[in-house]
This record gives sequence, C-alpha cells and structure tokens, in this order.
Amino acid sequence: MIRTAVIYLALLIVMRLMGKRQIGEMQPFELVITLLIAELACIPMADTSIPLLYGIVSVLAIFVLHELVTLIDLKVKPLKTVISGKPSVVINKNGIDDYQLKRNRLDVSDLIGSLRAAGYFSLDAVDYALYESNGTFSALPKQDLASMQPSLPLVVIDNGKFDEKNLAFTGVERAFFEEVLRREGVPALRRVLVLTADGTGKLYLQVKGEKFRTLHVAYPNGKTW
Amino acid sequence: MIKSFAAIAAALALLAGAAVFEHCHVTRSLHDFYEEVHVLYEKAEAGTANVGDAEAVRTAWEARKQTLHIWLPHGDVNRMDEPLSEAVRLIAEGEPRFAMAKLEIVMHAAKTLPAGYRLSLANLF
Repeated sequence: MIRTAVIYLALLIVMRLMGKRQIGEMQPFELVITLLIAELACIPMADTSIPLLYGIVSVLAIFVLHELVTLIDLKVKPLKTVISGKPSVVINKNGIDDYQLKRNRLDVSDLIGSLRAAGYFSLDAVDYALYESNGTFSALPKQDLASMQPSLPLVVIDNGKFDEKNLAFTGVERAFFEEVLRREGVPALRRVLVLTADGTGKLYLQVKGEKFRTLHVAYPNGKTW
Repeated sequence: MIKSFAAIAAALALLAGAAVFEHCHVTRSLHDFYEEVHVLYEKAEAGTANVGDAEAVRTAWEARKQTLHIWLPHGDVNRMDEPLSEAVRLIAEGEPRFAMAKLEIVMHAAKTLPAGYRLSLANLF
C-alpha cells in the first residue's frame, strides 16, 4: 500500500509539473489514476507468479487515495489549486501572456492551434483565452468577431524567429516585416513574441512584456491570400 | 460525503485487516515450518532421522504451501521445494550429513522470507 501511495504521489507531482499540455480534459489526479489502474490490474493478471491479492490490494489502495484526493479537491479550496492546478489566462486585454504559456510548456503556435480549434483564427479575435485546469481551452470572443476574421492569419514571427514556411506562403519579403518592426520601434527581432499577418494586411504584433498592437499595412505589389 | 467516508473507512479496514492477517499468517506458518525442519535437522545430526520423518515434514510443508501461495509470490514459496526434496532423498539414501546442508538452506529461507515482506525502508524502495 505504501509503495502504491509513493508511486501515486510521484506520478501526481510529475503530471502537475508537466503542465496542461499533457493532461487534456482530465484533472491531473484522474489521469494518474488512469495510468496506474491499468498497470496494477494487468500485472497480477498476466503474471501468474504474483498473487492476485497484490493487484487487489494495490487497486484498493488507489481507490482510497483517489477518494481522499477527491474529498480534498472538493472541500479544501487552497489545496484544490495544489492538486488540480488553476486555469491559466494566456490571452488577456494586453495580448498573449508569455509567462503563462511557458509555465504550461506551450508556445505561441500551440496557442494559435488551440484558438483555431475553438473557431478563432486571429489572435485579436478574443478578449480572453485560458487553459482550464483539466487542459481544455476556453476563449471569450470580441463582440465584433465576424469582422475581425476575414482572412486566415499566419504566424510570421514566432518567439523572435521568422517562420520561413509561412513567410514563403505570404509571398512577402522578410525585409518588409523588418521595416514594419523598425517603424514600430521594436529594437530587435528576438524581442518579438509573435507577429501574425492576414491577407487583408492586418498585422498582430506583440513584443515581449508589452501590450499587443494591431496594424494595417499594404503589402508590396498588393499581395493577398 | 458520508458515502465517501464510509467507503474510505471500509477500504482502509479491509487493507489493514489483510495486512495484519498476512503478517500473522505468514510469520506463524514459516515459523512452524522452521521448527519442523529444525527438529529434522537435529535428528539428522544425531543420525536418527528416517525417511518417515522427512516425508512428514514435506507433507506438512505441502499443506502450508496452499495458503502461503495466496499471500506470497509463488516463486518465493517454491524456493523451499528443491532443497527440501533433496534432503528427503538424502535421508532416504542414508546420507544425513549431506541432508543437513540442504535442510540448512531451507531453515535459512524460512527464517529470512518473512523479513522480505516486513514494513521497512529497504522493502519500500
């Protein structure tokens, strides 16, 4: 029983440390149970040299731990945060919260993917976006959402680096975006958290540690997609 | 809430009960077995052991094995079989001195086996 408890706690801590990208729709302690129960039940079933009782004792111990953790999760609010974590607001009124993204082992591409899966194709289409403690993604759209998503925005600069594939897709030279950054007073490329561009010339620029800004530019030769 | 507490209490009671019973049963069974083998060992040392004594010890062990298999890994329980069978054969062949070596293995195993399941830091990790 103590061995089971040790493994359970170790797995729970590791799952909490891994952040939200690992768990997807389960609370960390529920995922730990899922991982453990299958193995615990399987080993004594398959290995006839181990008494079946060992599997039953371990599963029963897991049940006790799960019930205790569930009770704590429901009744002791300060410990709920420790056990299940808390939602991470990754987009707020100032734009992307880089710190929250990193805390959850996510990057801007993951965030944009989550937004797309939720039906929002532009970073400025939402006022708030958050990863719930069970890993699901929620977003509060802006009121004039429909007018903000006329064209698919592409990530041109992600965490200080040009995305060459998307850059090629836009058909716009790198120098054009560098000039935009210069105009906007961005001191260095590595300071850019994200720059997206859509086919209408709308750019979403966020410099690390600053509020995001949206710009409207005319692409050279009237490029669009 | 009450249901949860009741379930936790029942499960803990079952686990604690099983742990206590296992400890007592395994310790007592192996202790009794050790005593039986020890008597046979002393008889072998005195040169008075016969095949009937050895067979009696083996028969008693076979009976104990049935319940020990529920509580201990089967490999650990079966560790006794080989040296005990050899000892029985050696006594039947009139070689009590050689049988003593085998019985010593059995006694050592019977003495040390419960320690492998006791609550200790070494067993936890």
